[in-house]
Parts: sequence; structure tokens; C-alpha cells
Amino acid sequence: MKNRQIPKGLRDFLPNEVKNRRKLEQKAIEVFTAFGYKEVLTPTFEFLEVVETGAGKNREKLFLFMDREGGILSLRPEMTVSIARLAAMHLKDSSFPQRFFYSANVFRHVQPHLAQYREFWQIGIEMLGASGPWADAEVINLAVKILKAMGLDNFKISINQIGIFNSLLADCPVSPDEKDNIRNLVEIKDLVELSRCLDTLPVPDLLKETIARLPILHGGLEVLNRIPYVEKNKAANEAVEELLRVYEALQAFGVEEHIVVDMGVLRDLEMDYYTGIIFEGYSPELGYGLLGGGRYDNLLGQFGFPCPATGFALGMDRLALVLTNQEQEPPHYILGGKNLQVLAARADQLRHEGKIVELDVEAASREVLEEKIRDRDDLIMIYLDDE
Amino acid sequence: MDSCLTIALSKGTLLKPTVELLEQANLPCAGITADSRNMVFSFTGDPEIRYIICRPTDVPAYVEHGAADLGFVGKDVIVEQGKDLFEMVDLKYGYCRFVVAVPAEDKDLKLQDLNYKRVATKFPAVAERFFRANGLQVEIITLHGNIELAPLMGLSDVIVDIVSSGRTLKENNLVELVSIMDSTTRLVANRVSYRTKHQEIQPLVEKIQMIVKGGIIT
Repeated sequence: MKNRQIPKGLRDFLPNEVKNRRKLEQKAIEVFTAFGYKEVLTPTFEFLEVVETGAGKNREKLFLFMDREGGILSLRPEMTVSIARLAAMHLKDSSFPQRFFYSANVFRHVQPHLAQYREFWQIGIEMLGASGPWADAEVINLAVKILKAMGLDNFKISINQIGIFNSLLADCPVSPDEKDNIRNLVEIKDLVELSRCLDTLPVPDLLKETIARLPILHGGLEVLNRIPYVEKNKAANEAVEELLRVYEALQAFGVEEHIVVDMGVLRDLEMDYYTGIIFEGYSPELGYGLLGGGRYDNLLGQFGFPCPATGFALGMDRLALVLTNQEQEPPHYILGGKNLQVLAARADQLRHEGKIVELDVEAASREVLEEKIRDRDDLIMIYLDDE
Repeated sequence: MDSCLTIALSKGTLLKPTVELLEQANLPCAGITADSRNMVFSFTGDPEIRYIICRPTDVPAYVEHGAADLGFVGKDVIVEQGKDLFEMVDLKYGYCRFVVAVPAEDKDLKLQDLNYKRVATKFPAVAERFFRANGLQVEIITLHGNIELAPLMGLSDVIVDIVSSGRTLKENNLVELVSIMDSTTRLVANRVSYRTKHQEIQPLVEKIQMIVKGGIIT
């Protein structure tokens, strides 16, 4: 009976869902375009070498297959790496910054559940060739603007600078394995195991305390005063400074009511190419993140074209779960009758006026047609008798 | 904004100590007892608190999906399900441990002798991970209860199960071969709730941390 099933984690979209989806997409495109972002498309699958350049060695999450020349191909698990490759291949001689947006389906071999599919839709932006806090803030500002344009009000963007955690970890006098373990525990937010693990390691108490506290440090700028060890570490200090400047820029953009400083955001579970400011967007109506992004200054270099970059991706499937469609539809008519020529002319006239018109192609009688649409209060019937 | 906290509680043996802890933390929990047939308890206040009483194995699902903001559940359940949760506090009660156990006559077996044996368990993920980490391949047979029956009836050579006192093992003539890990009750939070309801959740977590450390709540 496989001919009546679809593979696990995929789905069909019926007309109402597609309509809803396209509207959201349209709004996003309007905002992106107004900010000077231009759309790009990349292939649905890439060589595994390309995907692994950025996304790291996480093969069990990829859909892999072979081409007939012996190459290993991967359905794209996200768009950022592909766009970095595109830029490195085609844009070396362009002037920067370049601003791109995309709307694309991506594929990950995950355990499917609500809000997590194996094929899902992302829209997002990448700003290539610009470093500095204004660039980071523009991208975060745009994330806020997009969510607002789509009708969401009650949301927060959590921002962090990954260099804070990375440089604190680098200061721990422990083996690389133990560092990986600490990183993993912070990422999976197992605070219980994290403090137990830190207790067994020869890490200075102040540093221990700071690392153990990071995952739950959350709030306004005052959060930055609660990471005492940072002053002992130049790189961490610089990262905090940068976060501060981005926050100030976001104040200048007037969106700080949606911004939270959150030392628990690391994003490494998703992709491991981030190098600076990182952020995630949340709505209280959904138990999962809506969007995520950040700065990835080393990724393009891995494709032979060193270039700073930042961006974000927004999960359309998750967004659709928290938004309900409130927009008014144009009137929808059904046009019945026996004389096709008359009907066709009238239909075209109504359509010209911006109405949606369905022709009763079954040429039913007035009574039959009335009966048929009795339960359809979204339809307005017009019946043209022969006169 | 919605200032309602939903907390998932594990029914069964963990319920009583959990309610005691909640009482100590000055949370309303009148009437929540093991013999109550209600599954949802609501208490008005600021924040409004709602409890869901459900099977321990269902708590991670409620919390992961955001149907509950917080949950009280054993580490044994968390580690088996591998759900995406924010594990906040070790509450220390509800102690048990995962063990590999064999029939008493096999008590001199080494772990390495278990290669390609059949393992009956309620915790296939924990068992699989443990044996694999030790370089062993085993055949996992997933059962839903009374695991100790499996070796008696010849269904499996070995079991992986949780024990607290070890009495059940003894009664069924089984002996512990290796201890895999310890488990206690944990306070878990939904990743998003933790951020969007930080104002309500953080003080509660700090209070519970204090109680667990033996501090006094005023």
C-alpha cells in the first residue's frame, strides 16, 4: 500500500495552507526588498563536501545519495552554506556588502514531531562583506521587522556573542575532550551534569561559577555585569564589548523592547560556523525557536573567499503554527447558467473588478446549483438565465 | 501577557516528595494526592499555576512541546527519551540506578562476555548506548514491565533495569553485574518557556535550588 503513503516527516499542503504560506512569504519578501536584499536560488542538492564545509560532520542528519559519477550528494540541510559557496564562486569581483534573501525548502533527517519536519521551509537573509555592530544590528532589526510584518507581537529575540563562552572555555586548563564535554553540557542545557562535571575539574572557582551560570543568564544589559570572570580574559571582554555595541545599535533602531541578552544561546547544536553575535527568536505560543542566526566570518574563507558575513533563517512551518490568518478575502462568486458565451463575458467582467469567479462548468440548473452550494457560505451565487 | 505556569508532575512514587517540595517552596498544591482522580489542578494567583498529573514517561513530552513549562521527572526517564529539555535542578529524591543484571548462576560473567547476548529492558536507548560505548553488540528486547521475568523464562540472557534497593533482583534470583548510572528526580523546563516566562520561572528555580541545598525558605 506504499502508493497511498508519503515518507516519514513529509507532508502535503492543501490550498488553504499554501495560501497562508504564500502570504507570509510575500510579506517577508516585501520587507527584505525594502531593505535592499535580493533573492538568490541555489540547487536543491549539493556535493557533500560543500555541505560539510559549514555544517560540520553531522552526517546522520543529512539525506545523502550518489550521483552516477561517484560523487556523494546531500539534500541541502540549510541555505547559508550554499549561499557562501555561491558568493565564493561568482561574486569575488563584486562590491560589498551584498545583501541576499532566500525562500527555500531544506531537508534534515530528524525525528519528526509537531513543528519539526524532514522537509521544511525557511526564509532568510545573508549580509555578505560587512563586519561591525551596525551590520549585526541590521540583521537582527530585520528579524524583528519580519515577525512584526507577519502579525506577531509577542516575541523575543535572544542575543549573545559566542566569543564569550568560547574564550572562557579556552581558559579552562583541561583536555580538549573535557572541553567538548563542557560545551556539550552547556548546549543541551543539562545544568545538573554541568555543575557536577565542573566540580571534578581543576578549573579556578570564579571561572567555574561563571561557566555554570552562563546558560541561565538572561535579561537586559545588566546581565553583562553578572559574568565576573570576563574581566580576566581579553577575548571575552572584547566579545562583551561587541555585544554591548550591537545592543546600542538595536536601541538606535528602536527595537530593544524585543531584545533579550541571553548567555544560553549558543546555536552550535544547529551549525558550527558561527563566530560572533548569535541570536534566536521565540514566541511564548510555541515551545520551539522560530528563527536563528548570527555572524559567521570564517565560512566564506573555507570556500577560498575570506569575507565577513551575518544572517538568519526563519522557519515558516513553525511560524504558520503561531499565526492565524485574519485577512479578508476578496468576494468569491460562483457563476451558473446555460449560455457559455454570456457566462464567459460576465465572468471576465467580474474578474476584472478584482472578484474571484468560478464558472459552474457542469452547467447545472439553478435548483441543483443552489442545493450544491447550500453549505458554502463563502460563495456568492450568480445565475444567468437565458434572456 | 500570559502569566500562567503549567507544571507537569509525575504520578506514582515521585508525586508525594514532589508535592512536599512544592509546599516548602510556598506553591499552592492543596488537594494534589496520589489517590485523587483529577489530572489537572489550577490555582489562581500571580502567576496562576496549573499542574498536570501524568505518567512519568509522559512528562518529558509535555515539557518538550511546551504544553507544560516545567516538569518534575526522574533522570532515568529523561536519559532514555533524549528529549530536548532544559535540565535545571537535581532534586536528589527518587534515587535509583540503571544496572545490568544476570541470573545468579552467571554472577561471574565479565561485561565482555555479554557480546551478542539478548538483553531485555524497558530502556532500550540507555541499554543500547551503554553496550555500544563498551564495544559490545547485543540484541535488545524491549518490554514494558516485569523485566525480571525475561531471564527466568529464557527470553533473554541479561536485563537492564532500574533498581533502588535491589530487592526485586534478589527475589528473582538475579544479581547486579554492572551499574550503568545513577538517577534522581530533576526539575526540567521547556527551552522556550524558560526564556519567555523567565520572570516567573527563575525565582521558582532559585527557591527550589535553595531548598535542595538545605537552605531555609522564609
